[in-house]
Order: sequence, then C-alpha cells, then structure tokens
Amino acid sequence: MAVNEEALMWVEKYRPKNLNEVVDLHDIVESLKAFMRNPKTMPHLMFAGIPGTGKTTLALCIAHELFGPNWKSFTLELNASDERGIDTVRERVKDFSRYSRSGFGNVPFALIILDECDQMTGPAQTALRRIMETSSRTSRFILICNQSSKIIEPIQSRCAIFRFSRLDKQAMKDQLQCIAKKEKVNLLPEAAERIVDYSEGDLRHAINALQTAAAYKDGLIDEKIVLLVIGEASPMQVQKMIRKALFGDFIEARKTMYEIMGSYGFSGSEIIRQVQREIFKMSDLTPEQKADLSNVIGEYDYRLTQGANSDIQLSALLAQFAKFGKAIGETY
Amino acid sequence: MRNDLLWVEKYRPKKIEDIIGNEEAKATFIEWLKSKRRSKKAVLLYGPPGVGKTALVNATAKEFGFIVIEMNASDTRSEKAINEIAKPATSFIALDTFSTASKGNLLFLDEVDGIAGNEDRGGVSAIIKIVEESRVPVIMAANDPDIDKLRPLKKVCVLIRFQQIRIPLIIALLQKICLLEHVKAEFEALEKIAQNSKGDVRSAINDLQSISEENRVLTLQDTMMLSSRNKDISMDETLRGFFSSKSIVEASSLLSRSSVDYDDFLLSVSDNLPRRYTNPGELAAAYDFVSQADVFRGRIGTEHWHLLKYFFNALSEAASVAPESYKSFQFISPPIRIITLFWTKGKRTMLDGICGKIGAQCHVSHETAKHDFVPFVKSILQNQKSSPIASWFKFTPEEVDFLMKMNKY
Repeated sequence: MAVNEEALMWVEKYRPKNLNEVVDLHDIVESLKAFMRNPKTMPHLMFAGIPGTGKTTLALCIAHELFGPNWKSFTLELNASDERGIDTVRERVKDFSRYSRSGFGNVPFALIILDECDQMTGPAQTALRRIMETSSRTSRFILICNQSSKIIEPIQSRCAIFRFSRLDKQAMKDQLQCIAKKEKVNLLPEAAERIVDYSEGDLRHAINALQTAAAYKDGLIDEKIVLLVIGEASPMQVQKMIRKALFGDFIEARKTMYEIMGSYGFSGSEIIRQVQREIFKMSDLTPEQKADLSNVIGEYDYRLTQGANSDIQLSALLAQFAKFGKAIGETY
Repeated sequence: MRNDLLWVEKYRPKKIEDIIGNEEAKATFIEWLKSKRRSKKAVLLYGPPGVGKTALVNATAKEFGFIVIEMNASDTRSEKAINEIAKPATSFIALDTFSTASKGNLLFLDEVDGIAGNEDRGGVSAIIKIVEESRVPVIMAANDPDIDKLRPLKKVCVLIRFQQIRIPLIIALLQKICLLEHVKAEFEALEKIAQNSKGDVRSAINDLQSISEENRVLTLQDTMMLSSRNKDISMDETLRGFFSSKSIVEASSLLSRSSVDYDDFLLSVSDNLPRRYTNPGELAAAYDFVSQADVFRGRIGTEHWHLLKYFFNALSEAASVAPESYKSFQFISPPIRIITLFWTKGKRTMLDGICGKIGAQCHVSHETAKHDFVPFVKSILQNQKSSPIASWFKFTPEEVDFLMKMNKY
C-alpha cells in the first residue's frame, strides 16, 4: 500500500491509489482492469452501494490509472448534494469540457466523477442525461449513488452498473490491523471486533473511529476506548434517542434530540435520515416493526419539508415512537 | 351593509379640533411645527395605537399647508428605499410654492418601530442621516419608543407622548357618529364599547360599525358579542386558556383573540405538550396535530395569511385530544428555541466552512463530512491538543477553536 505522506486523516492516507491496492471487491476490480487495458472501450460507469464500501475510492483509482500523477487536470469531481441545482452542474461540466484537454495519451476523454447522484431530483437527472449525451464525445462519467433505484432509467441504461455490497468483516478487521501496524499502535483484537461491529460494513467509519481512538491514548487501543469513541459519535446518540422514545420516555428522548442538534449542528432532516438508518440497524425490532416505524418516519420526513419548525416535527415523531413502543410493550 | 365606507375612514379627523384628547401633546406638536427655528429638526410622536398620532399629522399638515410625504411600515425601509423616497423630499423646499399656498414638504415616517432588523438594514441610521441633512420637518410615529434599535433616533428628536383617550371622550365621539349614521344606541352600549377599546378610538369606531351593521338599535346586549379587545393576553394566559378549553371552537376563538406571536406560541405549545398529556397515546395524537399546525405555518410563510384559520384549527385540536384528563399544570414559557440558541448563524457558517474543507480533502459531501467526519475530527483535536490534522485540513485558528469547544457530552 502506497502511503501518501501528506494526508493526515487515515482514510485519505490509506486510500488505495490504484486498482491493484484494493482489497476485497475482486469481481468489480477485475472488470475495471479490463477497461483500463483499452480505455477507449470504457463506458459511463455507475457505482451503487452503501457508504464506505469503496465507490469513491475506485473512481479515484480509475482516474489515477488513466491519467497518472496529473489526474487532477483531467478529472472533474462534483458532489450533487453540494452543488446548487442542475444548472451549476451543467455550467461546471461545460466549462470543464471546454477548458480541459479532452484526453491524455491513448485515453480520448476526460473523467467526470459525480458523487451522491441519488440526491438529485427527477428533472435534474433528466437534465443530467442530456449533459451526458452532449458531452459524451469528450468525457466519461462515473456516477456514484447509494441506491441505483433512485436514478432514472435512461441514465441507468447508459451506464455499466457496479453494485458494492457491505464489506466483509474479516477483510475490514485485517485492514484496520494493517493500518494500526503502520501507525505503530497496538489494536487489541476485541477492540477491532467492536469497531467493525459498530461500523456495519462502512470502512470509512471504521477507519475514522480507529484514528479517533488512537488519539485518546498513545500506542494502545482497547475495548474501553473504542466504546468511548463510538459512544460520542452521532449514530450511538441517535440510537439512544430512539430507544428512550420506544421505552416510552418521551421527555428524555426529546432531551437527547436537543443534545444531538446542539452538539453536532444537524438539521432536522439530517437527524431524521439518521433515525431511518439506525432503525434498520436495530436487531431487537422485527422486520414488521421496522416497516411500521419507517412509514411513520416517512410521514414526518415529508412534513419536515413543509413545516416551519424542525424540532416540532421531530418531537411529534418521537411522540409517535413512544406510542408505538407502548403498543409493542410486551415484546420490546 | 349600509355603507361601503369604513367609518374609521369616513370620520377620520379633518381638522385639528376634530382630534379628541391629548391636548397637551397636540399643543406641543403644533408649536414645534409652527416655530421658525426648531430646536430639533425631527419629532417622534409615540403612544398606543388609535389615539390620533397619524390623524394629527395629516390634519395639521392640511391646516398649515404642508405636503405630507409618507412612508410607513408597509413600505420597505432599507437604507436604499429611504434614500430614494425621503432624500428628494427633504432636500428641495417647496418647488411649487408659486402655484399653491404650500409651505413645502413634510416627511412623515409612520410606525418607525416597525423597521425590521433584516430587510430594513441600515434603516435607522439612514433616517438619522436624513434628519440631520433635512431642510424640511421630519415627523415620526411609533407605538413603543423603548425599542433598542430606535434609541439612536430618540437623541435627535423632540419626544411627544400620546396617551390613551379617556372613556367619556370616546363615548361622546361614538354618540356623534351614531347621530350621523342614524343608529339609535343605548348609552350603556356605547359605554361598553368605549371601555372595551381601552382608549383606542380606531378600534372603538370599528366595533361600533361592526355591531351596527345588523342593528339600527343598539342595546347593551348587542355589545356582548364583542370580543374583549384585551391588548395584552400574555403567553401564560393564552396557554392556560388554550389547554383548559373544552372544545376546538373555544380554543380556536381564544387563539384568534390573543395577540401572542404565533411562532412563539406554536413552540410553547410543543414545549408544554408533554406536561399536559402524560399518556403516550394522547401525547402522540396531540403532537400529530401540532405537527400539522406547523405544516400550515410553513405554508403560510410570509404571505398566505388566509391559511391562518387552518393553522388555528389544527392547533386547537391539539388542545382537545382528551378534555377529561385536563389538570392544571405549570407552564414552560417563553419557548426554549434550543436550536437557534446553540446554532447562531455565525456558528452554522463556521461549521459549513469546516465541512467544506473536510469535503475537499476527503472527497465527501458537506453532509457526509458533518456526520461521518466532524464528530471524529473534533474528538481528535480535543484529545491531541496540537494535532497536525488541523493544518492538513487548512483550518483557521478560529475553526480549530470552534471544534475544540464543540459540545461534549
């Protein structure tokens, strides 16, 4: 693994730079290598999958493989959730294909990496499809999203789609140990186990947790420190809030909600998205209960976009959870 | 309707002598306006609504031959708007003095306490500048002169205080109007209207007209339908009445009478709901209505006020989920507003900037940076006082400081 001396966040420092360095994901890597042998044949690509499974990493690897150290001159990185509307995306793509040389060596195109595409609205995606068409002579797109189902059909049909599944636990543990060794910290096996359990196949999260734990104490990471770190991170707090509500303690749940908003500066809709994510992680709920709760969340998520005060909508959601928790009281 | 004209318009004072009450204030004002060498170039008339401030300015101007250039709260009064309208009005003295008996312009800024913080940015200082440079009299009117942002204005103005109009004066005026409108009214009915108005002539005339629409003969009985124009139903009072109301109609009519700020009230209801409903089912049902009310509040925004009735209705339902379980309780008020308390605009911009820098280095969106990186980066910085990651992210010292102080549990 090549170490970029400049990067200080470990997720960047140990991010693979070319396809050979990538662990796991064998099938995807092999297909991509085939494209790399004859770049002219590379179609638009779509990477779909849950966070922290290597989508952005592979996209950047491709950029490195195609263009070498000067990859930045031939690659436009955009994040759909940061750009204000499709018009800015269009402008930036247009400017990019106008001013960058379209191609390098035997690669006849420049690369456009568009992250979090599923955040784009339907009309925006239709516009994107048009952009892809008009600039296809000079550029290739790599579209990255969490759910390919949220991408309109015409775009899907123009891309080779690769699905990224949850990373293997053992592979993640190996990766963490490998990093720990390079950083000269002693990562106890049970501590690694904890981090991997908590990260739910999200390697980025796992590495961030590892680095944070390493900052607590020099040289040694044990289970206690890991628990401390993940307890402070927002997913644990969100779970705490959900559990309090489901136990019927509305007032405490709401207090936790205020703590989360106050400490992390999350907006109402960010919290509600996290609630949705955490609900599906909770193993003590049945699939039916999760579905029921998800329906409730959906309703308040919508109201949040319409309403004036996000904390009222979140309070109302927690009140529904408290009622729900009482109804399933015997089993929960 | 017998007459299309609102009586408050129809009987608006045309001459100074038509204005009732506040004799001393009137005299001071007229003397100020008449004097050739004014000690201060501007005057601030202040006092409760409906006591004749605007009427006095208009009537006086008419009698003395000034042209009134008026701006009031409904116009935006940003610095730019003020300069566009007020500047020309104050810098030329009566161009048309030849054709009329005009003595020139007179700038009248009504409801200056309504200058909003944001849209009317620079408004107060622009007014002060106008006053200083003005070659014509500047008159301002306000209800509440104690507002902080008006303090600088008070230094450059002559202050003239208006008081509530005494009840007998209002009764006499109402009698005069009844006579002209051919309404036969019992003295007790007029007395009741006058008392109800709390010294606000405009509201007294409005009330008189509203109950005379149907009756040409007014009895005390007819005035009972008048809602008490209690100007100061406090937050606590409104909350108490709201939660103890027996029906949706009762709660909703209370809301339309109360003058508490809707947004504050909505948040207060939300804060107090768990105290009112201890049963989770009732609480969930009530919160659902509050949530709907909030949705209507969102749709109303700043312009669709015709939706207010739905807002009231949804909110009222929250009060009547389980009337039988009502017990009086101690209110939390004013609303907690925890979010705005913690996350001022400055802090939010700061966090946004931090997320942008993280995003640039680690190839993630702002949002991902916010929940997948900030909590960790914060912890690292808090535990390793001089961690080199701060400079790698290119954080400014302020940003590092911000992250170090970010709330710990």
